[in-house]
Amino acid sequence: MLEYYNTKQMEKSAILEQNDATENGFIKTLTDFFEGVSLLTKFTIRFFRQAFKPPFEFKEIIKQSYIIGYQSFPLVAITGFIMGLVITIQSRPTLVQFGAESWLPGMVAVSMIREIAPVITALIFAGKVGSGIGAELASMKVTEQIDAMEVSGINPFKYLVVTRILAATITLPMLSIIADAISLYGSYIGVNLKNDVSLRLFFLQAFQSLSFSDLFPSLFKTFFFGFSVGLIGCYKGYNCKKGTEGVGIAANSSVVFGSLAIFIIDMIAVQITSLLNC
Amino acid sequence: MQKNTGSKIKLGILVSVSFALLLIGIYFIGEKQQMFSATFHVSGVFKDISGLQVGNNVRFSGINVGVISEIEQITDTTVRVGMTINEKTHKFIKKNSKAIIGSDGLMGNKIVIILPGIASLPAIANNDTIATTQPVSMDDILIKIKQTSDNAADITGSLSMIMDNISEGKGTIGKLFFDSAFAQNLDATLVNIKQGAGGFKQNMDAASHNFLLRGFLKRKNKK
Repeated sequence: MLEYYNTKQMEKSAILEQNDATENGFIKTLTDFFEGVSLLTKFTIRFFRQAFKPPFEFKEIIKQSYIIGYQSFPLVAITGFIMGLVITIQSRPTLVQFGAESWLPGMVAVSMIREIAPVITALIFAGKVGSGIGAELASMKVTEQIDAMEVSGINPFKYLVVTRILAATITLPMLSIIADAISLYGSYIGVNLKNDVSLRLFFLQAFQSLSFSDLFPSLFKTFFFGFSVGLIGCYKGYNCKKGTEGVGIAANSSVVFGSLAIFIIDMIAVQITSLLNC
Repeated sequence: MQKNTGSKIKLGILVSVSFALLLIGIYFIGEKQQMFSATFHVSGVFKDISGLQVGNNVRFSGINVGVISEIEQITDTTVRVGMTINEKTHKFIKKNSKAIIGSDGLMGNKIVIILPGIASLPAIANNDTIATTQPVSMDDILIKIKQTSDNAADITGSLSMIMDNISEGKGTIGKLFFDSAFAQNLDATLVNIKQGAGGFKQNMDAASHNFLLRGFLKRKNKK
């Protein structure tokens, strides 16, 4: 009887402990989240303070722009081409049903330039560049290279973080413009799989449907996409935990949070654009 | 060092290409909105612009020659529509040209169509007001269709009533179709008429041989 009573008591205390642990886990997650937001805000403020304070690391910015921008070009170009081709092939049957096949270039141009090309380019960019920055800075942190830079009198934040964020902010809009152009060419190929439309007519029809309110908001938001990918990658790498595990986590979370930030910025950009009646 | 120069050149190409593409895009979009060509401005006053928006096309002889630059409500029943039109078309748009609001295809955007005026008249002046014709709106068409269908319903109702009366044997046509006594009477009457006509013919033949009428009939035949 006593044994039975003891067992029941132990079971009860185990359940209570588990509940406490769950509650504590939730509170810890919440605390970690707000702490993260606070640290990221501090990190962003530090970036702006350092970015406008000389000396400026122009050589490093150019080097990072090459690594981040130029080396992402083939991936962005292939993705843009395929997206243009696929959207055209997928949209065609529906437009044919309405007898509106001639609208295909205009419709694809608007959807590619307004939304698809900038967002897909930014996601590819977050996957390639965000993880790269996160892993690189994390491994530098783990191997204490950042500390060594501080000791040798170099400002590591300015040299490593500011340059990378600026390079990402500058190069993503360029890649997005190139992706726009290549996706339109992909769409032209897609239209010509079933029809016979000249390149001149295709681009005339495409630009006929476009206006500055399609081009500029989409271009403007890519600066924010680039900034957020660079910022999150640098933040995760710069503040990674010690050990090789930390490098993996930094690279992974850079991509995850970078992609999430892109969608959130996109949603805000769409709301602002529609408020401005663009 | 050589590698560094190579990477700078590649980056330079990337930047140049992207800027060139952006400029091409801006040029083509701007050209469509008449931003890079000489233009003149006219306006028209409409009662209802049927959803016309700033940036919609202005068409003359089937060619896009300009865009809607502004839309302003003047009074509760009038809207002023400003149009920016390519200068090359200026000489063809005469003082008595008219503007109407149309549609680009069945599902397309609203457009302003400028109808040509008399060729001998001078061209419309810059910032002048062009005459307009009120467009036929979809609502007007639907109202007309409703009136027509109401009339058709009235007609078919009356026809149905007439057909009912006929099928019940009412009225002359109803009796003709469905009253057998009336049909027999009619048949008998026709037989009587036929017999009467035969008798009349015999009488007339006999009269033609009568000496009193022979002279009169001969004169009539000669004429």
